[in-house]
Formats: sequence, structure tokens, C-alpha cells
Amino acid sequence: MLRSGGLNPIDPLVARRRGSARLATAVAGALALLAFLGRSSDPAAQPLSPAAPLKLGAALALTGNANLYGQDQRMGISLAQAWLQAQPHPRPVQLQLEDGASDEPSAIAAFNLLIRQGVITLIGPTLSQQAFAADPIAQRQGVPVVAPSNTAKGIPQIGSFISRVSAQSSVIAPLSIDEALRREPGTRRVAVFFAQDDAYSTAETAIFQKVLAARGLKPVSVQRTQLADNDFQNPITAALQQRPQIVVISAQAVDGGNLIRQLRELGYRGQIVVGNGLNTPNIYPICQRWCDGVLIAQAYSPELNTPVNLAFRRLFADANQGRTPGQIAAQAWTAYQVVFEAIQRVQKRGGFEGLTLGDARQQLMQELLNGRYNTPLGPIRFRPDGEVVQGRFYVAQVRMDATGRSGRFTLVREQELPEDAP
Amino acid sequence: MIDNGLLVQMILGALLGLSVYLPMAAGQLSLATPAFYAVGGTLAALLSTQDNAQAGITLGAMVGEMFLAAGLTAGLALLVGLPVLRLRGIYLAIATIALVEIVRVAILNLPFTGGAAGIFGIPQPFQQPLGYVLFSGGLLAACGWLCQRLEASRLGRSMAAIRDDELASRCMGIHTTRVKLTAFVASAVLAGITGVIAAHYLNTWNARQGSFDVAITTLAFVILGGSRSWLGPVIGGLLLTALPELLRPVGDLRLVLFGLVILLGPVLFPQGLITPALLERLGRWKP
Repeated sequence: MLRSGGLNPIDPLVARRRGSARLATAVAGALALLAFLGRSSDPAAQPLSPAAPLKLGAALALTGNANLYGQDQRMGISLAQAWLQAQPHPRPVQLQLEDGASDEPSAIAAFNLLIRQGVITLIGPTLSQQAFAADPIAQRQGVPVVAPSNTAKGIPQIGSFISRVSAQSSVIAPLSIDEALRREPGTRRVAVFFAQDDAYSTAETAIFQKVLAARGLKPVSVQRTQLADNDFQNPITAALQQRPQIVVISAQAVDGGNLIRQLRELGYRGQIVVGNGLNTPNIYPICQRWCDGVLIAQAYSPELNTPVNLAFRRLFADANQGRTPGQIAAQAWTAYQVVFEAIQRVQKRGGFEGLTLGDARQQLMQELLNGRYNTPLGPIRFRPDGEVVQGRFYVAQVRMDATGRSGRFTLVREQELPEDAP
Repeated sequence: MIDNGLLVQMILGALLGLSVYLPMAAGQLSLATPAFYAVGGTLAALLSTQDNAQAGITLGAMVGEMFLAAGLTAGLALLVGLPVLRLRGIYLAIATIALVEIVRVAILNLPFTGGAAGIFGIPQPFQQPLGYVLFSGGLLAACGWLCQRLEASRLGRSMAAIRDDELASRCMGIHTTRVKLTAFVASAVLAGITGVIAAHYLNTWNARQGSFDVAITTLAFVILGGSRSWLGPVIGGLLLTALPELLRPVGDLRLVLFGLVILLGPVLFPQGLITPALLERLGRWKP
């Protein structure tokens, strides 16, 4: 009777163990199936169809703590797309945008996904730390990468397929210090602040401090802050006791903005020089009228009077209630433009004829590095290792308007650098 | 579609979930997993970038790193575990969070760990992600087998007894300190060797990899998957790591949906997806 009912009077513990063994087998089977289905289906060996649009991938930080930069980049790329689509071009290009978030695993996942979808080039990722994780994957599979905002040392050196349009901070940073010293030649006392848990800021402060040392200035105070800090009373009080004449800040937008504001509120009246992390109009609402007068060196000036920059400014203003674009958006535009123009040049020469995707990627990388580009950043080209060569940099000063809620970077100096400066 | 790269991340997630589960099986809420994960990853990153050989690293060398990481994390866990495991519940959780912060700040400030940018150019033992899948999958299978054996062993039963009632189990003659410490050390070793694989897989390692966020994420693996069986954290880790990637087609909404899953999971499955009752039903089921 019992047997016909299918009841089985076994111990619950034994049943549980048998159940988990069965489930474990099922999970293992499912994982094995996934591994088999997901095994490298590299599209690089497939031939390119002659007329279909070429796919271009972008992995940007649309979420996570770098999303302020990623959103600016999305704007820059989409404006470049709109502008270039309107120009005559023999080969259509289709943009595939993925969220690379702000951490390394997400950047890797986004790169893998785009590569599998058969993109010919990748733009991204947003952060240098992400680039160190994701770029080697593109390099191994031979996919060109153009970084729009990686400024850390050693990015193009990851491999032959990696390039960037964002100049290293070692090139830009000295200019603003020199401008501050030009204004107050007698300066002896400099205080330095930096966000010690931020890769970008720690690299940049090292450069700032090297420049100071080269000008014969030893910081009277070096203060370490954290990206998540809101209250800077302690480090500011400690620094102000040393009566600095210039304060040099390497931080990101939110913490840096608050730091500037609190410096002024606590009575500092001297010059403030800030690094690239604050190179965004997003700081205006944070430090408000206290932003006024801050000096910053930039790789982009909205005041550059060239047709392509005027087009960029006009499109940006139309899309953003008349605002002026910042460097991050300009560099993202530039990354898209560089790839787009290289594709068109290869197409005009008939270069994509009869190639596999893998060969086309290689061909495009060569063309990318050989070209010269007239971009919103000014004329640029690449060194053979993929490092950008940009001749012109700018020092700007923040000027806030009467309301204290909005302002702009006004150009104070334009500087030509010798072309092959490191 | 899940590619092998994502599959590696899923398996690493499952291993970290197991690492959080082990102390929990002995009733201890420890959030120290990211600290040991960071120690393992940093050790691997330092050792494999010593001679600047970008080209590659042999599998043997990586296994060697894993043994070293296991030894180092076990030592650290013993050192930390003895005083810390005297604490219970939320106090233990806070003490282990402090450990995570100490390790993170140490890695950020030590002169040889590359500061905030971290260590990059970590060589690869495998040319294809499939290699990582097989290797980490094998490790997961071995850990699963051990956990399955553990449940029937004296140690496993002691752990279950402590989880149900620590005082009663001590009265029954169980050496509770030793059992809790064993679970803590096993958890640390598992996190450490997972860190070694992760460092190679990620190509780069920095202090952000072992942050408090990771503690919360890995805890979510256990909560969603279920903490009463080792399969819970494994399945939780696999699913929760894959989900944000699988949700990519919905675009900007994907993290909202992901948050919704985290929110609704415990509401709909208060004991997690894998409950003892479910396993019992599976065990009695006859095809």
C-alpha cells in the first residue's frame, strides 16, 4: 500500500542531502552547457559585408560614481554622431552604446559584449582603472580602442591597439601652476590637497608637486582627503596655519567643489589652482560664488574659434539649454570623430574590400594612428604607440555670474607646446 | 546571452558567496570576505608582476600563488578570528567591517601596492576565458563537494548545532571556539584563493576591489540564495552576478530592475531561493 502511493519513509536529512546532490548536479550541468554555448564565438574571422554599416562600440560610465563624466561623454558622442552623419560619408557607421558602469568587472563585461557583437572599434572606458582591466581584453582580440578620458600614465602602453585622445595630466598640469606664479612671482608658500583614494588625483598631485619642486617651491602643507568627504575643516585649518599663498587641489568634482567652498568660507583669500577632476561645469552649483577665480589648465577651450568647435558649441547649447560644453564632452566628441574619419578614409581607398572583420580592425588601427584630425580640441594626431599629440593647451579661470549659481571657464592663456612633449 | 567572460565572473561570485556562507553556517555573521579577497588578489598581483613578464604566467605559478594566499589568509584569519569571534551578531559584523576598511586603507597607502591606481599588467595563465571557466568551475565543484561532505561530518553538525543554539551546543561538549574559528579560517582561505583568480582575470588590482560594497554584494548572494544550504549562496552568487548583464536589453532601467529583484527577493522568498524544504522535496522526488 505504502509503495503504491509512492511514499518513501526516508529520513528527512538523507532526503535533503540527496536533494542537494541532485540540485548540485543540475547546476553543474547548466554551467557546463553555458560554457559550451558561450565558448568563444569570435566574429573576427567572418568577412565584412561590403555595404552594411560598420558597428562602433562605446562603453561609458553611465552608472556608478563616475556617471557625471559618462553622461557628459554620452552627450559628446551623440552630438558628434549627429554632426558627422550630416556630412557626406561613403561608409555608414552604427553606434552601439553600452553602460560600462564605474567598476572593472562591468567594463570587462561591456567590452566582451561589444566585441562579440562584431564592433570594429571601441570607445571607452571612462576611468583609467577600468581601462587597465578592459583594454587588455580588446588588445588580445585585436580590437582598436580609443580612450576618451583615460589620463593615467601607461594607458597606450597596454598594447598596440590602445590609443587615447585625452592628454596625460603630466602635460597639462604644469601650465596652471605657471600661470599662478606669473601672477604672483614672489610666492614662497604653497599648500597641496589631494583625494588619496582616487587614482587620478594621486597621479596628478605627484605631477603638481614635481612641478612645484622644479620651480623651487616645497609645499608647506600636504593634506590628504577622501572622495566621499564632505567636511574639510580639519585639513583646511591645518593648511591655513601655514599661511599658504597658493592652494593646489587634485580632487573630483563633488569633493573638490566642497573643498574650494570651505577654503573660502574659512577665510582663505589667495589663489586656488585645481586639477583636471574639477574640469567640468558641474562644479558651479557646488562651490557657487566661491568658485570664482579658480585657475585650471585644460585640454579644451570652448573659446577656440574653429568651424568644428563652433559647430560643437552650437549643437551642445541647443541640446542643453544654452550651456557651454566642457572638456570631457569635447574629448568624447573627438574620440568619435577620429574613428569616424579614419573609417571614411579607409573606405575611400577601398580598404574594407574583401577583408575579414579581424583584418579590418587591424587596417583601421593603422589608419587611425596615421591620420591628422581637426577636432574641437584643436588639431591632433597620434604617436605610433597611440598617445595623443596635441599642440595647444589652455589655462582658464572660473568666472561666476551675478547669481552665483552659474558661470564659465574664461580663457586666460593659450599655450603652444612643442609637439612631441611627453 | 552569457559568454564565458561573464561565466567566470558568475563562478567567482558563487565562490565569494560560499565564503560568506561558511561562517554563517556556524551562526556567525562575518563580513570579512572582501578583506581576505583583497589580500589574495594583492598578493597575486604583486607576485606575478615582479619580473615584469607581461607575456604570461604558467598555471603552476598561479596555483603556487593560491597556496601562498591560502597560507597568508589562514594566518591572518587565525590572528583576527581569535579575538573577534568572541563577539556576536551585529558586533561581529561591525568588527569584520572594520577589518575590511583596515585592509583597504592599508592597500591604498602601502608603498608597494600602487596606491589608488593599483597594480596593472597582471599576466594571464589562460589565453581564452574558457580556461578560467574550467579552472574556477573545477574549484567551485571541489568546494561544493567539500561542503556537501561537511554537512554530514562531525564538524558540519557542530556548526549547525552552534547556529541553532551556541550555549546548548557548548553544554553538549562541542568546542565552540574551535568550530567557529575553523569556519572563519575556511571562509578566509576560500576568499583569498578566489582573489588570486580574480586578480588574473581582471588584469588589474586596486584597493577598490575589496571595499565595503563587496561585503554587501556578497551578503546579498547568501540572503537571496538562502543561508541554510551551501547551494543557496552558490546559486545566489551565480544569479545576482549575471542579472545586471542579462538585463542590458532594457537599457537605462536595468539597475532599477536589479534593485527591484534585490528588494522583492527576501519578500517573496524570506528564507532564500534554496530552502531545506525544497531540497527535501527534491530528494524524495522520483522521476
